[in-house]
Amino acid sequence: MFCQQLINGLMLGASYALVAVGYTLIFGVLNLLYFAHGEVFMVGAFAGLFLVLYAGVGIFGALVGAMIICALIGLVAVNVAVRPVSKDYPLAPLISTIGLTMVLQNSAVLMFGGQQVAFPETIRQELYHLGPITIGSVQVFILVVAITLMVLLWLMIEHTKLGRAIRATAENHETAALLGVDVNRVVLVTFMIGSGIAGVAGVLDGIKNSGVSPFMGLGAAVKGLIVMLLGGLGNVLGAMVAGVLLGIVEILSAAYIGTTQRDFFSFLILIVILLIRPTGLFGTRTMEERS
Amino acid sequence: MLDGWLDGYTLSLLIFAGINAIAAYSFFAPFKTGQVSLGQAGFMAVGAYTSAIATQKFGMPFAAALVLGALLAGIIGVVVGFPALRIKGVYLLLLTIGFAEIISVIAMSWEYVGGAQGFRGIRYNPFTLEYVIGIIVLLLLFFSRLERSSLGRAMDAIHQDETAAEVMGIDVVRIKLLAFGLGAAIAGLAGALYAHQATFMDSTTFNILLAVEILVFVVVGGGSTYWGPLFGAALLNAFPEVLRGLREWLELVPAAWTSSHAMHVIYGFLRDFLDFENAKRLIAYGIILIVTMIYRPNGLLTREQLRQLHPSRSRARHA
Repeated sequence: MFCQQLINGLMLGASYALVAVGYTLIFGVLNLLYFAHGEVFMVGAFAGLFLVLYAGVGIFGALVGAMIICALIGLVAVNVAVRPVSKDYPLAPLISTIGLTMVLQNSAVLMFGGQQVAFPETIRQELYHLGPITIGSVQVFILVVAITLMVLLWLMIEHTKLGRAIRATAENHETAALLGVDVNRVVLVTFMIGSGIAGVAGVLDGIKNSGVSPFMGLGAAVKGLIVMLLGGLGNVLGAMVAGVLLGIVEILSAAYIGTTQRDFFSFLILIVILLIRPTGLFGTRTMEERS
Repeated sequence: MLDGWLDGYTLSLLIFAGINAIAAYSFFAPFKTGQVSLGQAGFMAVGAYTSAIATQKFGMPFAAALVLGALLAGIIGVVVGFPALRIKGVYLLLLTIGFAEIISVIAMSWEYVGGAQGFRGIRYNPFTLEYVIGIIVLLLLFFSRLERSSLGRAMDAIHQDETAAEVMGIDVVRIKLLAFGLGAAIAGLAGALYAHQATFMDSTTFNILLAVEILVFVVVGGGSTYWGPLFGAALLNAFPEVLRGLREWLELVPAAWTSSHAMHVIYGFLRDFLDFENAKRLIAYGIILIVTMIYRPNGLLTREQLRQLHPSRSRARHA
């Protein structure tokens, strides 16, 4: 029973981690809370749904397609709602991305209605029994995709030139620019990577719940924020670990305490972390120290 | 008093716009000291549930329940404000979101107030419009006095630079707490008025989208002057209605005018464009928000602008 819950928590946590990784990447290079990220996740889920329904592609096609579409949306988003806004008003970019959130969410409501739309079965569900644990093929698929993506991202950030540029930009814009990093380009690429990953996370969520809804982004955004904070702002590895951790805590509290209390615990964790350890679990710098 | 010469639709429209304006002032109060809260919907929920319990379960008169709701929301505001003193910016935003979500979870799991089925059968208050107008006038008077008082100047100083304000001898902790608690109490008023107008609410009534809408009113209207929240709430609440009015005029166009194909297409496009359901209204809000932030990050009304309307006063100030 406990092991089973642990596996379920891992599954939930993997999707939280995918959203949070994008948040934290974007926060890292821009030092800005980008509110629309959850809606990019939602758009990714709908893009995947449409690719499966009308383009007749398989699940891998849907994942890649959603990734590309969301990366493009990220590119548009940064050019529409982030770069034209003056940095002299610390609130302005936050609020303009809230505006973008409203536009994306309600465009989806307008196009697809406010109801949940069913996601067709793209992977045949088979149950595997490993001793006391039961795990479905869908779950295995989600887990494998999420972990692969995170490992690739981690390798990219640690071992490629682009990754080094992203880390340098996150450290300090001016210094990075002096050292020959094209900061503007790095910001754009970071947005595209983060948004693309959110798109994949959206499709995975659609498969997991066999449905997508225009309002799925809000919950994902809030959970993603909690995970980002838990892992430390701008800390990619921290976000991955914290995502899994939050998933496990939620599933365990739902299993042993009650399902309505599930969200209560995640917000309690949020508040406790804010109060006693705003640097996150792994001691990343706080926002004030960064700027 | 007023329902004699207003039809029911206009009346309820005015009432909800007014409640939105009061909620906007609840965001404005902590914002004066630079605290940005996305938890104002949570404080509205506290006021709404408290007052509804008072009138329904204990038979209290509405006026007393209104005060009680505002008081409790204000006290909780001060309690939440304590941790909020240490943190700011993104962290404060997250803290207030977390607070509002916890309130919503409590409302959902507490069977005494209806739980997931929602709080039903709240007593209808026939004088909501009078209350709303009275409270808005009081708020305007209060904030206009505040802007010229030493307390108001201290708040502005904290907004500009907290460390500098502290060095100047301003009691930053006390003033920030006061502003946060005041904002929460005003939100409690708005919530109590809402509950006794709508007569039904559940755990999703006071959600984060409402908190965002409240923020939009202030930011678009202008957060540097006490006219901003009222202006923003009035403008954004009137906007869909103006378009609805235009659409009704469009219906009056004689059929003969639209007989040609081109005219027919234009007519159809205009009619669809002006058909303002909720989703389109929120899309428009979003676009307005982005455009405002790009061109007028301080909002449409600013204190400097309003000062120019009073040349004598502004000269005296700069002398």
